[in-house]
This record gives sequence, C-alpha cells and structure tokens, in this order.
Amino acid sequence: MIILSLKTLVKSFGGLVAVAGVSFDVERGDIVGLIGPNGAGKTTVFNLITGAQRPDGGDIFFAGHRIDRLKPHRIVKLGLARTFQTIRLFPRMSVLENVLSGCHCRMTSGIVSSLLRLPHQRREEKVALTRAMEELEFVGLAGSWRAMAGGLPYGDQRRLEIARALATEPKFMVLDEPAGGMNDQETRGLRGLIDRIRKRDITIMLIEHDIGFVMKVCNKLVVIENGAIIAEGPPEVIQKDPKVIEAYLGVGD
Amino acid sequence: MTATTLKRFAFWLQAAGALIFLALPKLGLGAYWLDVLNMVGMYAILALSLNIILGHAGMFHMGHAAFFAVGAYTTAILNTRLKWPVFAAMPFAGIAAGLFAIAVAAPIIHLRGDYLLMVTIGIVEIVRIALVNDIFGLTGGSNGIIGIARPVLFGFRITRPQHFFYLIWGFAALSMLLFYWLEHSRYGRALKYIKEDTVAAEGMGINTDRYKLSALVVGAVWAGFVGAVYASQMRTISPGSFNFWESVIMFMIVILGGSGNQKGVLLGAFLVVGLPELFRDLQSARMLVFGAALVMMMIFRPQGLIPPKPRNYTLPESLAGKYP
Ligand SMILES: Nc1ncnc2c1ncn2[C@@H]1O[C@H](COP(=O)(O)OP(=O)(O)O)[C@@H](O)[C@H]1O
Ligand SMILES: [Mg+2]
Repeated sequence: MIILSLKTLVKSFGGLVAVAGVSFDVERGDIVGLIGPNGAGKTTVFNLITGAQRPDGGDIFFAGHRIDRLKPHRIVKLGLARTFQTIRLFPRMSVLENVLSGCHCRMTSGIVSSLLRLPHQRREEKVALTRAMEELEFVGLAGSWRAMAGGLPYGDQRRLEIARALATEPKFMVLDEPAGGMNDQETRGLRGLIDRIRKRDITIMLIEHDIGFVMKVCNKLVVIENGAIIAEGPPEVIQKDPKVIEAYLGVGD
Repeated sequence: MTATTLKRFAFWLQAAGALIFLALPKLGLGAYWLDVLNMVGMYAILALSLNIILGHAGMFHMGHAAFFAVGAYTTAILNTRLKWPVFAAMPFAGIAAGLFAIAVAAPIIHLRGDYLLMVTIGIVEIVRIALVNDIFGLTGGSNGIIGIARPVLFGFRITRPQHFFYLIWGFAALSMLLFYWLEHSRYGRALKYIKEDTVAAEGMGINTDRYKLSALVVGAVWAGFVGAVYASQMRTISPGSFNFWESVIMFMIVILGGSGNQKGVLLGAFLVVGLPELFRDLQSARMLVFGAALVMMMIFRPQGLIPPKPRNYTLPESLAGKYP
C-alpha cells in the first residue's frame, strides 16, 4: 500500500530550481533513504512534504489526503512528523517539556478548560506526561527528563528530536540527517532505534550522508542530483548504478 | 532540607506581605495613596493580560490601550444610554474588546516582530482618532462620556477609594490565579513553544497563527474588563486616557518586570506606575528616567528584573519513583 506519493514536485528559489519535477512513491513499512550530493534539494523535498514550504507545482498525497496546500500543523495531525537537519529543539525548556510539544496535537483542552483548570484538563495533562515519558524511555533519555534540552550532548539532542516527533503519534516520519554529528557508537544506537520505530508500524524516510549507514538501514533509496531523481531502487542495485557512482559516490571520495 | 525551609519561609513572607497589603486601607492609608495603589492595580491587571501576548507568546504588541479603550467605552455607552449596571456591562466590555481584537488582528497576526509592533501602534492611534471623531455618534468626541454610574456588587455600592482598592486587587488576584493556570496548561505551553521557535512549534503540530490570535483575544478581553472597572471608577472617560503613551507604559511594565513572569510583572507595575508618585517633584523628568531605565535594562538585564524560571513538572506517582 502506498502511503506517500509525490507527483512532479517543483520548487524554485528566485532563479534557482531546487526541486525540478520529483516523483516517487513510498510503500507503507518502507525505510526510504533520500540521498544525493550537498545542495541536491533533499531538505527542500522534506520541507515540501512537511508543509514548511509550498511547492510551485506538483501534488503530494499522504494516506489518502492531498497535503501540498496544508499548513505544517495539519500535516502533523494527519500523522506525518519530522526532525530537522539543523536541530530545532526548544533549547531553554526541559527535555520533558520538549516531548510534550509533540503530545499537543493529540490533546484537546482549550482556553476555557485551561483558565479554569477543569478536571478534564488535569486528567489530560497526566496522560500527556505519561505519554511523553514513554517516548523518552523509548529513545533512552528518560533519566534526563529534567535537563535543559540545549545542554544535552549533540547525539542526545538528535534522539530527543525523534522522541518529540514520536509523541505526535505519527504513521510516517521524515528524518533529516539523523546521524549528523553522531559518533560511531551513537550511530549504531540510532540504527537500532530506527529498527524499533519501524516495528511500531511507522514508515520512515531519511536523508543521510553516511552511505554505509543508508545501505544497512534502508530497503529503498532515491538518489537526487540538481533537484532531479537520477536513480531509485533497492540499495544493492543503487550501489552498482554507474550514474550514481559518477554523480554521488565518486564525488564523495 | 534547607532549600525547602527557605522556600516555605519565602512563601509565608509573601503571604504576610499580601495580608499587610490588603490591610492597608484599614491601617489608615490616605485616599490619595489608595488611589495610587488602585492605579497600580489596574495597570498590573492590564500588564498581566499583556504578559500573555508579549511575555508568553512573544508577540510585540504595543496596542493594548486600544482594547482597554474599547472596554471602557462599551461600559460607558451601555451604562449611560441603556442604564445597564456596570457589572452587567462588564462581560460585554470584554466581548467587545475581544471581537475588536479578532477584527483588527486576524489579517496581521502572522507578521513578525517589528512589523507587528508598528501595526499595533497604529491600532491605538486609529481607535483614539475614531473616539475623538465621535464614531457612530456614541463616544462624545473629545469630551468623552460623563456620568458613568458606580458599580454595585451584591447591593453594595462601590464608591470610595478603599472600596475600589478591594475590587481592583481582588480582580488582580483572580487574574493572577487564572493566568497561572493558563500558563501551566497545554495552552500556555503552546504559547511558549511559539515564542521559543515558531517554525519548530508549527512543525510539532501547533496551529501557531490560531494560538497567536487567541492569545491576543484573551489579553484583549481582559483589558476590556479592566476598561469597565476604570470607567466606573473615573465616571468620566475621554480619548486622552487611551493614547499611545498608555500602551507604552503597559509594554514597559512587562519588559522591565520580567516578560513571562507574574511576579516580575507585578513588580514592574509598582515601579513604573507607583514609584513616580513618590517623586512627584520630578514629574517632568519621568520620561527621561524611564528611557534611561529601559536602556540600562536592555544592556544589563534584558530578561527583566524577575525573569521566568523553566517550568518544574511533577511526574505521575507511578513514574516519579523510577525517575527522580
Ligand atoms: N530557503 C531557501 N532560499 C533560497 N535558496 C534555498 C533555500 N533553501 C534551499 N535553497 C537552495 O536550494 C538548493 C537545495 O538545497 P537543500 O534542499 O537544502 O539541499 P540538500 O538538503 O540536498 O543539501 C541549494 O542550492 C540551496 O542553496
Ligand atoms: Mg539538507
């Protein structure tokens, strides 16, 4: 079953065409790697999917909804969560409070029940605290729940971003360079984490520069260069594709 | 151990301070100083409501006097024309200010920082000019509206400064309690996320535009309520009472005291509104002193005198044992 479908997406910034007609489908349960050289347009594709930017052309369908005209918060509510390439936690808030931001979209208390601290609001708050702690346990950060997010080591901040995204109860997650800035041990831990996320029936799409990582983690790769797809398929096939070797793997060396 | 004793001591000290404060009218404080405290209290409530917009949501809104004016005029009109009692008019003063906020702010709510600041300043001027021009033939032009009735609460007519003292400070205490609850909820958290990083907040599923607008509306409704109290205390209102300078004072109270912290805002109200009364001879130097104080603050304590602390959460019992 196709969960996400991109159809001839186009996005330009002034004269620069960052995404030039990208189309591909993601099957439910996939772990898709979006790879390509720096400036290829990978993050822009993610920004279009998550609603952070609007495409100039093309359509995006997610779980039966057309989402390319929706605001980010609506897309999150539909079950599509993200992490950012440049970490965007709330640095001056605690680890717990960061994850609670993800719980927000599954809660309902409004102004009046908050102003008057109605029983429903208090119950919901307790449930959210428990939910947030569950996600912190899941990524292995529960012991640091009181710490300020901005003070965490880099690798922990990346995992916290994942916990925060998981708290939105997504069906689909897009991770922009989740291993960026991680050491070898942290990267191995991340592989295990991604595996456990997939077991929760969450489809994953990620951008990553570490080719070894992508080959091990993903079951499908999409390679883009200058905003256009040059190859797509299982890692074993992509690895041998001459266009990819020339455009990306070769340049990397 | 010592930390908890210290905390307990601080709590009782504050409680004692509050009690002495509430006893001031009985301790023979004169009418003049009671009026000063009443003014401080009214500005404190206005600043507490602005604090939701400016302190929590981080929106540079310098037009709060406009909402205050809408509330005061709504009360004055309903009272003098339709003979509604002040407390019957008060909810409508809040609603009118809230509706006005929606009407003027919906198109501009996505503006950021300095742009929002300029537009909100413009709103105050537009309201003031509309009032001077006797809009709808209801506002009495530059003379304003006279003969607003005193408020009556459970058959008791509130007339003297000490009566208003309890009305205003009771209202301030209630506002602080409700706003504390609001701050410590899903709603208040959403505003703080927006202030910290709007893009990340939206990306986590928060409808940032709607929250910004609703924060403005909550603040406006409350300013409208204060407007009702003000109108009935003054009995006469005119456009001059709702000029840009009033907005600046409210803004300054929040920034100086500590954006996002109720105690800071309260302290700010005493400093900005109360302190100048102690130095009446220096009235003409007021603006100069304020200007200098703000510049110093921006350099040495940009977070305000009492900045907000990160929120402490208490985990449900089942988890509290596991994760101390
Ligand atoms: N907001 C923006 N404004 C202007 N140019 C942008 C913007 N975002 C990305 N670009 C440009 O679009 C191209 C693709 O960027 P990006 O999607 O970030 O690449 P990648 O993530 O693959 O490294 C780059 O040339 C980049 O400079
Ligand atoms: Mg990128």
